[in-house]
Amino acid sequence: MNLKQISLDDIDLKDERFRFSYHYDLRRLLLSIKKIGLVNPPVVVNRDHRFILVTGWKRICVYLELSLTPLPVFILEQDDDLRAFLFSLYENLAHRDFNLLERAEIVCRLKGFIEDEKRLVKEYLPLLGIPPTLPYLDLYVKISQLEPSWKKVIFEKKISLASVGLLIEFGASELELLVPLILPLSHNKQKQILDDLIQISRKEEISLKKILEAERIQSVLQSEKLSSLQKAERVRILLRKERHPSLSAWKESFEASLKRARLSKEVILGSSSFFENGEFSVTFSLKDKEEFSKRLARLQKLISDEDFISLFKRPPDG
Amino acid sequence: MDKDSFYPQRVFITKDSEPLPLTQRILKNLHHLPVEGIQNPQDLIEDIKMSRDPVAEGKKCLLVTLQKGSFVKSCPCTPQYIGCNYFIINSDLNCPLDCSYCILQLYLDNPLITVHTNSEKLWNQLDNFLNKRRNRSLRIGTGELGDSLALDHITERSKDFIRYFSARSHAQFELKTKTININNILGIKPPGNAVIAWSLNSHQMAQMEEVGTPDIYKRLEAARLVSRAGYRVAFHFDPVIYYQGWEEGYAEVIDDMMMRIDPKKIAWISLGSLRFPPALKSVIMKRFPQTKIIYEEFIEGKDGKLRYPKPIRLWLYERIVEFLRKAGGKKIPLYFCMESRDVWQEILEIKIRGKEDVQKLLALPLGES
Repeated sequence: MNLKQISLDDIDLKDERFRFSYHYDLRRLLLSIKKIGLVNPPVVVNRDHRFILVTGWKRICVYLELSLTPLPVFILEQDDDLRAFLFSLYENLAHRDFNLLERAEIVCRLKGFIEDEKRLVKEYLPLLGIPPTLPYLDLYVKISQLEPSWKKVIFEKKISLASVGLLIEFGASELELLVPLILPLSHNKQKQILDDLIQISRKEEISLKKILEAERIQSVLQSEKLSSLQKAERVRILLRKERHPSLSAWKESFEASLKRARLSKEVILGSSSFFENGEFSVTFSLKDKEEFSKRLARLQKLISDEDFISLFKRPPDG
Repeated sequence: MDKDSFYPQRVFITKDSEPLPLTQRILKNLHHLPVEGIQNPQDLIEDIKMSRDPVAEGKKCLLVTLQKGSFVKSCPCTPQYIGCNYFIINSDLNCPLDCSYCILQLYLDNPLITVHTNSEKLWNQLDNFLNKRRNRSLRIGTGELGDSLALDHITERSKDFIRYFSARSHAQFELKTKTININNILGIKPPGNAVIAWSLNSHQMAQMEEVGTPDIYKRLEAARLVSRAGYRVAFHFDPVIYYQGWEEGYAEVIDDMMMRIDPKKIAWISLGSLRFPPALKSVIMKRFPQTKIIYEEFIEGKDGKLRYPKPIRLWLYERIVEFLRKAGGKKIPLYFCMESRDVWQEILEIKIRGKEDVQKLLALPLGES
């Protein structure tokens, strides 16, 4: 590679065929270049008497911001675009991990360069830590095709691959509704809300928009008293109930009976998960013999308490 | 052989299996298809696994190879629930039928329909296995990791198995199928210890969820023909699926079954409600976008699998057992697949301590075959 000083105007920055990073924080690099100058020059290739950037997008952004010129670059003698791209890929791979969006861009670029999908899957997906299957290739290509504004949100809010994998199935208008709703939640809860929405939508054959437009959900979303986290949490619970109506009803009924039985704070009645093994447990705490005697007397009394006995009934069929 | 019988699009034969008699029989039955010889199936398996739908791709291919591991295994059943004390013969893997709920979509590392043709090893292993257990009755079958008869027009293996087991009367040998591929079976004399079993569902569920299978009428008619020929038959309502109209759906099939088949010819009927590992759900969602059965309410059972909450399971079983009893099946042995002790107790009023009790319930007394 030859080192050469060129003007920024000599590089066709609109040609992004080798670029796979779009979202980054320039502050540290800006400080570094200000203080000690450019240590590693970007790499370019020559195509039709224009330079195309292979590596060094962050460095170019800093140069543009600081209006620095001329720019030292290495000129890579490589006519083959795939090989030039691989130069950039391996150069980066050697010293850092790629984020979700970068992996998606890399996969998308590789797909443009390599016709044989199975070769791409076999040789390159494992390098990126992606399972080598065609469904994963499709997933990452779809992520790369999201609108830039959604990509920015995914990057900034660090939305997980599991949730992004569900989000890409929705159209633009649905994303407008969904993304702001789920953002305040943790990764697990984001995924749960998306799973529930998709499953309700498939089961009831109604659109996601229609589910979210239901009055009980709208009254939460339009509340002026609730924070966005509170709204998200309430909608999540409403959707859980809608997705699991019987289980929610049994749980509520059990809790209501428990409440009516007025057990003291020190006596806790537990049931097996959704009554699967039909067992219950009683836990109580005590400090001395007197308290022990009190708790036992209280428990003994419960045997004739109808509300308490109703807890052991099997929930109704269907 | 039915006109709808399965034929693979591609046939692969490993070099080491080529000279074997069963391989040659398969080649004869597939003479109209091109065959590719391969050294090692692993590359082929990896290539299919890479596909957009490896399950569907695997169903287009037939791999003829050697069983390197053990042919005979204990049915894994499921932890924490009552087992069935059944033994499975892994002669074939996978099947051409495409049921939405099939656990094999997730379970097997090899998505290809695979036939193991080293029969000598199979018979040796079976001899050892059965000799060690010659003083007890047992149940054994081939329908666990694939359909027992779906490839029978290609392998004709049912005849080999039935003949082999006819001389081993302490073992009840079961072929379990959803097909009507019964020509080979009808061509041989039925021994008393062979049981030909059909997996059944309601018409609606069979039509919607069991892609590529013969309809229930055809299955029941095949069962009638087989039982008329002198075989004992069995039925597996597994998975029982909870959906709008399930009671009418299962009642209709049970009535039809009991009208066609003499209850005395029914060796057993099993019941098991829909259950699946959580990871299978996304596979089903992707492969069967129209299905709704996975959107019912499920709980995570003691074995980690998703299953209907117990009240729903009890409701399903109660009604189905009632339909069976009403239709004349009071004396037919019933058992549950992967259910808890208290479900056995509540529905069948049988105290089951473990899988040995299940075996006793379904065993043919020694010397009665």
